[in-house]
Amino acid sequence: MSRPDLGALNIDRAKPFRSTLYVKFYFFSVPESFVPSETIHIITVYKNVSATFFRFNKTEPFGHIEPFDPSFCHRYCLVVQLGAAVTVDLNESRGRIGDVVPEQYGVDREESYTTRIKKGSAGASKNWVPASRNFSLVSRRFGAASQTRTPYMIAKNVFIARRTQEHDAIVVGSGITGGYAAKELCELGLNTLVLERGRNVEHITDYRTEHKNTWEFPFRNRQDGRRYEELFSVQRRTYAFGEHTEHFFINDKENPYVEVKPFTWIRADVVGGRSLLWGRQCYRWGALDFEANARDGFGVDWPIRYADIAPWYDYVEQFVGISGQSEGVASCPDGIFLPPMALNKGEQVVRDGIATGFNDRVLTIGRSAVLTRPHNGRGPCHYCGPCHRGCSPGAYFSSLSATLPAATATGNLTLQPGSIVHSVIYDEEKGRATGVRVVDRETKEVREVYARIIFLCASALATAQIMLHSKSNRFPDGLANDSGALGHYLMDHHFEVGASGELPGMEAYYYKGNRPNGIYVPRFRNVSAQTRRTDFVRGFGYQGGAWRPGWERPMRGFGAAYKHALRTPGPWRMHFGGYGETLPYYENHIALDPNKTDAWGIPVLRIQCDWGENELAMRKDIAQSAAEMLDAAGAKNIETFDHYTQGGLGAEPGLGIHEMGTVRMGRDPKTSVLNAHNQCHDVPNVFVTDGACMTSSACQNPSITYMALTARAAHYAVDALKKRDL
Amino acid sequence: MNRREAIRRVGILMGGTLSAGTLAGMLGGCTAQPGDQARTLTRQQSELVATIAERIIPETDTPGARAAGVHTFIDSMLTDWYGEQEREHFLSELATADEKARAMFTGEFLDLDEAQQVQLLTTMEDEALAAMPLADPERPPLFIAMKTLTLFGYYTSEIGATVELRVMPMGEYRGDVPFEEIGRTWA
Repeated sequence: MSRPDLGALNIDRAKPFRSTLYVKFYFFSVPESFVPSETIHIITVYKNVSATFFRFNKTEPFGHIEPFDPSFCHRYCLVVQLGAAVTVDLNESRGRIGDVVPEQYGVDREESYTTRIKKGSAGASKNWVPASRNFSLVSRRFGAASQTRTPYMIAKNVFIARRTQEHDAIVVGSGITGGYAAKELCELGLNTLVLERGRNVEHITDYRTEHKNTWEFPFRNRQDGRRYEELFSVQRRTYAFGEHTEHFFINDKENPYVEVKPFTWIRADVVGGRSLLWGRQCYRWGALDFEANARDGFGVDWPIRYADIAPWYDYVEQFVGISGQSEGVASCPDGIFLPPMALNKGEQVVRDGIATGFNDRVLTIGRSAVLTRPHNGRGPCHYCGPCHRGCSPGAYFSSLSATLPAATATGNLTLQPGSIVHSVIYDEEKGRATGVRVVDRETKEVREVYARIIFLCASALATAQIMLHSKSNRFPDGLANDSGALGHYLMDHHFEVGASGELPGMEAYYYKGNRPNGIYVPRFRNVSAQTRRTDFVRGFGYQGGAWRPGWERPMRGFGAAYKHALRTPGPWRMHFGGYGETLPYYENHIALDPNKTDAWGIPVLRIQCDWGENELAMRKDIAQSAAEMLDAAGAKNIETFDHYTQGGLGAEPGLGIHEMGTVRMGRDPKTSVLNAHNQCHDVPNVFVTDGACMTSSACQNPSITYMALTARAAHYAVDALKKRDL
Repeated sequence: MNRREAIRRVGILMGGTLSAGTLAGMLGGCTAQPGDQARTLTRQQSELVATIAERIIPETDTPGARAAGVHTFIDSMLTDWYGEQEREHFLSELATADEKARAMFTGEFLDLDEAQQVQLLTTMEDEALAAMPLADPERPPLFIAMKTLTLFGYYTSEIGATVELRVMPMGEYRGDVPFEEIGRTWA
């Protein structure tokens, strides 16, 4: 058979995309050594015999995909060795088939199919069907151009996309920002699809260790040493991980990444993400924080100021419910608070000592997304302590307790757990993203889902990973990455540094109830001319608390007297741990590993991050200033600590679980990825509102700021859609 | 011990006030690891561990380490938690108890009377503290290992947490309660 005009395979975009599926098969014979000669959008080469897929483009071999992995073979060119078949989805093919398969490999045979898919006919449960089924369906119902089918064509594990119902919005991730985006978009009337890589968990039902006693855990809620070393070698580094919470965390063995330098990546793997596990501390950023980069020149300027976000802090705080005390500190503005939790006796003494000894420092009760009275249908805290096991009354804010139920109530939410987002689909002609590719966590089938706007809320590193992996002719280095900033400027808060000491007296006092909250000392360094430091820029805050150590306190001896002595708690102690701002350094970055992919064919991350001189200088002051405050409060036996070890674990980046900055906002598209509305400069219908968007890190716990930015961006996006700007 | 015996013993210890869930948990534990048939420790070693633990946290007006099953807990740590090297280290350290008993008195540790055992453990504590800080925290001398495991095993057990100490109640938070209102350390 003569070779057809392969150039004619270019897309015919006049046809309605949504309702029609075009498929054309060409059968080539190509040698083993065949390599595409020209850049094409993406080509999939399918070696029929070994059933191994490879993907190539000119600039980068994408690497090896697992055998029988259906990734990508549906929408692009499928070249099958020996009696080969090439499928071209006319709607998506970027290149010309003739550019890819050289002239000498003549087309053996050609088959083409056209089918119409009724709107909504593809069920959500099964958007993909094997080619064989699909094509028998096609030929029977609609009549194919050719009735001849060959064994190659119906090779199993060849999957063809069926157009699914398009959504108004896709939200990737269901954690604290994904949940918030879902709530806002649904409430604003958008039909919203939330894709979550983790398995489904239900509020209340799946809090299976809530209120479980210590002795009911095999290792008394200590970690399961050997098993955890194998399966959770990274997750076990965080305090929140243990026998009581392991079912919410990701399995490190199945989900590896490369630590070029020590970097702890703590990840949840369930619906709700880390909103189930977070520390719940909520502090507004001050005006200074949004001006910091512009003032001292480290990092690009924020495209927004405090005044831009302040109403959105108000907005989210009223929904979230944050208990706290107003203090009038400019570096950490007051918000809309529920009644504060109580300071204990020791903390009261330290608060008073600091108030007497310093005119620039304030100790206040932690501002926490834990309710102190009923709020928006959720119940108040009952002080059992370990929130991260889950809370049946929903006293602490999480996607499961608050935002996802609100989104569900609108009737506009579709939540798909077990959906691992592979990449964003970019349409060059429209200059827009059209949807995302999703790998099913269990079956590893690939499907595509489409929407008018996309919110990436997968967490700072995962969002950047998805964007880096979304390569196209237009964006060969990752989606919306004209600036080259994508994946860079990774930040976290540096911590595990401070001081503690003994508070003499008050031994007649104790406390009752397990308060899931501590104290906070807002930033007091570099906030005015008087507080300017010469040894570092930016600043830090402290968290901590006072307590009386119990049986675990170090004491010499044993026997009956020892046992009875432990019936009385030890003397009061006070602990200050600093949380310091990190500067945005270009060198601190992530990249896709060129060789390693995960079980779903997605390249794993290589993470390279370390503290710089500014952070290390700040740490000295953190320890010293903590000791000074303890001294002012009359503490004895004051000891400073700093767990950072160069090149080792202890206070490594990531451990703060405030990683951010990899898809930063900015004013200039040449140096940033997102604009003032968290919208990609270069792809206007893609928004990034998780920690990735942060231009600087400040020193406050970031979640409330992420939520405020998310709500703000969602409203902006919906306005733009209504105005037809998007 | 068998299940029936477990119920009986637990009933005695707890004054018959065990929750069904807790009981099931304990019985589950018994099924997996019968108290008298430790999985790593020999019967002799188990008795030695139980005795040392009891000297560290003895029965007084409340039950001690043996009643709380600390030796069973330690056996489970050795079997399922410790790595090979840590386990071997613990077992070789355990053997030193008898060596030291023979050197200081006549007979093995379990042959000594209670006062002698306490005297020996005091000596071992002095030696251990003199050698602080530990060269390798994962290879502690016997006294340190036994004290750490015993305190942890005892105070995280139901007896240790509820009979000896008090489990923090839920419901409210008060930051400056007179200690006498509570009377015991929180577990």
